[in-house]
Amino acid sequence: MAKKSKKAMVMRKLIKSIWVFNWFNSCGFSELVPLVGSRWDMERFGMIITGTPRHADVLFIAGYQTLKSIKRAQLIYQQMAEPKVVLALGACTMTGGIYWDSYNTIKRLEDYLPVTMYIPGCPPRPEAVFEACDKIFQHVKELK
Amino acid sequence: MEKIENNILKKIKITFKIDGILQRNQRIWVSVESNRLIELCQWLKDEGFVHLSAISATDWLEEGVYEMTYHLWSYNEKILLTVKTKIDRNKSVVDSVVPIWSNNAQIHERELHELFGVKFRGNPDLSQLFLEDWEGPPPFRKDFDWREYLKKEVFDPKNKREQVYYDKTK
Repeated sequence: MAKKSKKAMVMRKLIKSIWVFNWFNSCGFSELVPLVGSRWDMERFGMIITGTPRHADVLFIAGYQTLKSIKRAQLIYQQMAEPKVVLALGACTMTGGIYWDSYNTIKRLEDYLPVTMYIPGCPPRPEAVFEACDKIFQHVKELK
Repeated sequence: MEKIENNILKKIKITFKIDGILQRNQRIWVSVESNRLIELCQWLKDEGFVHLSAISATDWLEEGVYEMTYHLWSYNEKILLTVKTKIDRNKSVVDSVVPIWSNNAQIHERELHELFGVKFRGNPDLSQLFLEDWEGPPPFRKDFDWREYLKKEVFDPKNKREQVYYDKTK
C-alpha cells in the first residue's frame, strides 16, 4: 500500500503538459481554432500546440482524410514518441461526414490509425474536446 | 479594321481547311480530328498561343465519345482559343501535347488519366496524382456509380455505422 502511494507520487511528478500536434484536413482546423484562442484557451489545462510530431504526445486529427493524405498522417503518427494518443475529431473521421459516399475519402479512421478516442460533432464543441482531454490526463495517470 | 479574331480564323481556314467558330469577342472555338491535333497545336503555339490554361474531358455517354478540350491563351492577341477533339470513350487514346507545352500540360494529362482513364500517347509519366493506390475504374466516367462501388468494396454491412447505407427504404 505504501509502495503504491509512493509510485503514485512519482507519477504525479512525471505528468507533464500535453503537447498536441494538429493534422487537420479541410475545415478541421478552422473549427478548432477557438480551442487555441483566448475564448476557450487550452493552455490553462496544460495543453500546447507543437510544430513537430516528434515532440507531440497527442495527435489531433480532423476533417475528411483522403487516400493520399492518410499516408502522410500515418507517417506523422510513426514519428511521434511513445506513449502517444490519437484523438479523432468530428464526423468526417468516423464516417466520412458529408463525404460519406465519396470514392476518395477514408470512411473508418480506425482501419488506418489506432484511434484512442472519437469526438463526434460537426464540428465538436470545445467543451467536448476538453472533456476528451481530461480523459487523456486520466489515461496518462493510469498508464503505469 | 478587320478583327484579329477573324484574321486568325482565316489563317486556320487556309492552313488546315477547318472552319472555326467566333463564339464572341476574344473567344474562338476550333474542332479538329484527333489525328491532326498535334499538328494544329504546334501551329497555334508558333502563332503565339503559348499558354495552355487547361485540358478537360467531357464524357458524352450517349454518343460514346470523350470530348477533349484544350484552352489556349495568347498574351499578344488577348484571345482565348479552345481546341476540341473527340475520341472514342472506350478506347480513349489521344496524342500527348507534352512535347509542345511541356510541364504546362503534364499535370493536366496526369489528372485526366486518373479521373477519366484517357491514355496520352507519348507522355512519359502518367502516374497517379490525387488517387494514390486507386484500383477501381476511373471515377469521373459517367457510368461509374460510386455508391454502388463503395457498397461493394468499402462499406461493411455488419458495421453499425454503415448498416444504414444498405437500408433500401432510405
